[in-house]
Amino acid sequence: MSDLDRRQFIATGLLTGAALITPDMALAGASPPDWALGVADVEADVPHEVLQLVMGKVPAGLAATLYRNGPAKFRRGTGASGHWFDGDGLVRKFRVADGRATLVARFVDTPKRRLETKLDAIVQPGFGTGARAGSVVGGPDDANASNTSVLMAGGQLLALWEGGSPSVLDPETLATRGFKTFRRDLKQMPFLAHPRVEPDGTIWNLGGNGEGTFVWKLHPDGSLAQGQMISVERNSYFHDFTATARHLIIVLQPWVQEGFSFPLSEAMRWRPELGTRVLVIDKDDLTKRRTFELPAFSFFHLADGWEERDGTIRFDGCLEADPIFGQRGASALLRGEYVKAPSPMLTQIVLRPDGKADMQTTRIAAEFPSSDKRVAGQARQFTTHVTNYRGPFPHGIAMWDWSRGRDDRFDFGDQQLVEEFLFVPLGAGEREGWLLGTTLNLAERKTELHLIDAAHVAAGPIATWRASLPLPLTFHGTIG
Amino acid sequence: MTHLKATLAAVILIGTALGSAAQAGAPAADLTISFTGIAEQQGAVLGAVFDSEAAYNGGGKPVRTIMVAASKAEVAAQLNGLAPGTYAIKAFHDVDGDQQMGTNPFGMPIEPFAFSNNAQGQMGPAKWADAKFDVTPGTNSQSIIIR
Repeated sequence: MSDLDRRQFIATGLLTGAALITPDMALAGASPPDWALGVADVEADVPHEVLQLVMGKVPAGLAATLYRNGPAKFRRGTGASGHWFDGDGLVRKFRVADGRATLVARFVDTPKRRLETKLDAIVQPGFGTGARAGSVVGGPDDANASNTSVLMAGGQLLALWEGGSPSVLDPETLATRGFKTFRRDLKQMPFLAHPRVEPDGTIWNLGGNGEGTFVWKLHPDGSLAQGQMISVERNSYFHDFTATARHLIIVLQPWVQEGFSFPLSEAMRWRPELGTRVLVIDKDDLTKRRTFELPAFSFFHLADGWEERDGTIRFDGCLEADPIFGQRGASALLRGEYVKAPSPMLTQIVLRPDGKADMQTTRIAAEFPSSDKRVAGQARQFTTHVTNYRGPFPHGIAMWDWSRGRDDRFDFGDQQLVEEFLFVPLGAGEREGWLLGTTLNLAERKTELHLIDAAHVAAGPIATWRASLPLPLTFHGTIG
Repeated sequence: MTHLKATLAAVILIGTALGSAAQAGAPAADLTISFTGIAEQQGAVLGAVFDSEAAYNGGGKPVRTIMVAASKAEVAAQLNGLAPGTYAIKAFHDVDGDQQMGTNPFGMPIEPFAFSNNAQGQMGPAKWADAKFDVTPGTNSQSIIIR
């Protein structure tokens, strides 16, 4: 290339905006990658529709409702959310009954969504989005995206975020009723998207990251049983925690907040030299606690824990070597860019009675761990998880067997992005039932619902239904 | 959440100073302040009127305070004998009647609040520049939506 050619090339590039393309994007190619459909925008609520059964046969007697939540509106005007975690929550209701499946989906009607709709601009701050001109934040719920998970409590469907209150939805129509206030002085309180529910329906949750966190205990009907601020003595970010029958387990990764600024994803620092600390707190007396020290890891999700007769505590999680995905990877997705980040690895953490702790990795890349909720807090054998990451998203679903040390796994292929699957029990055992979950079929450009026999995951779905449209990827759901 | 706590804890600090009498010799200015949008008709609307940016930002006391029973969806306060000049108001609905801006355990405001001009803040109180208004000799009015 001569100097003249080069000058011409650069000049043309500047004029066409090519100068704005980052190296990540150049690697990904000029056109958006196929997986960008997973983080595309949905413009309107999805009216009730009957899904098309494209494969298999629906087992007689199966009746289940799967509620799922995930961000589905990221771009307005000329702007966009700064992070995958900051789009408006779209709650989807999949119902399988009488041999057919239906879908309805509605956006949670939050102050954030109302303001940004009015302005036709993304202005409210979030996990990875800074506040922009026109932003109005009188309290955390003004920025509440209600986009992370759902919880059924006391006949109310709660759409969960983590920095603010749950939104109350009608479980039938998905109409938004406003924010849940558990007690007058507990408005505008953080409530994580990962409550731990005991088999009797008692709900435990944490609110707020940082040195102080609020411990929520709710009755099965969703009313407040108790609430208390506790100090965890480290400014760690935690999106999730776990519990055994007797203890709350708070994992304090060395991804810590130093100073005050937005967005959070950029304000927090990775300080691996601090290691990762695990706090075990007695549910009956929150002042009784033990700490365990582990090498540094980052994480978003944990699975239910349990305690053995000698006091050994076991739980598993999807652990990352560092938080690059949360810091940069999940932001880049919205620009159609894939930033390579350490894979989350399914790992069991063992806390021993002598105060020592260790980690046993499965060496399997995994996310969205789930398990049989009937044995929450008790010993269990299996963890369901997404797997087979190719590019930024997973293509497989699996059940890991902790006794045998192996996965029962199905790969949906390159054209399917796989979301969280949840267990629907039929018999007494952890594999006696179905896994119900969704994928985004990139070839068909449609969202699909799949039913898998939990005892034969590798055999693939026994039934697959297809929606009339593609919906972006969800985070978490619940069986209603 | 600490970042929000730090900024929002200071959203509304209502001065405790009682309203002072009009300064002798100043030309008379009267101000009627209406508060609308009161959702829960109990307690009182409390307000603080500041005459400078420094005072508004916490560096001084309000020149007047307001306390009016929140018995209807719309109530009004009358301030007579103000010195003409530039003012801004911070107000909140003291629903539980404890004369304090209620906060949750993280220090976030949990009672409805508002500023003059219905100026809105961003992770903190509205700015003086957005909330300030002129009071001229004679009658003046300011309408504030409490939410």
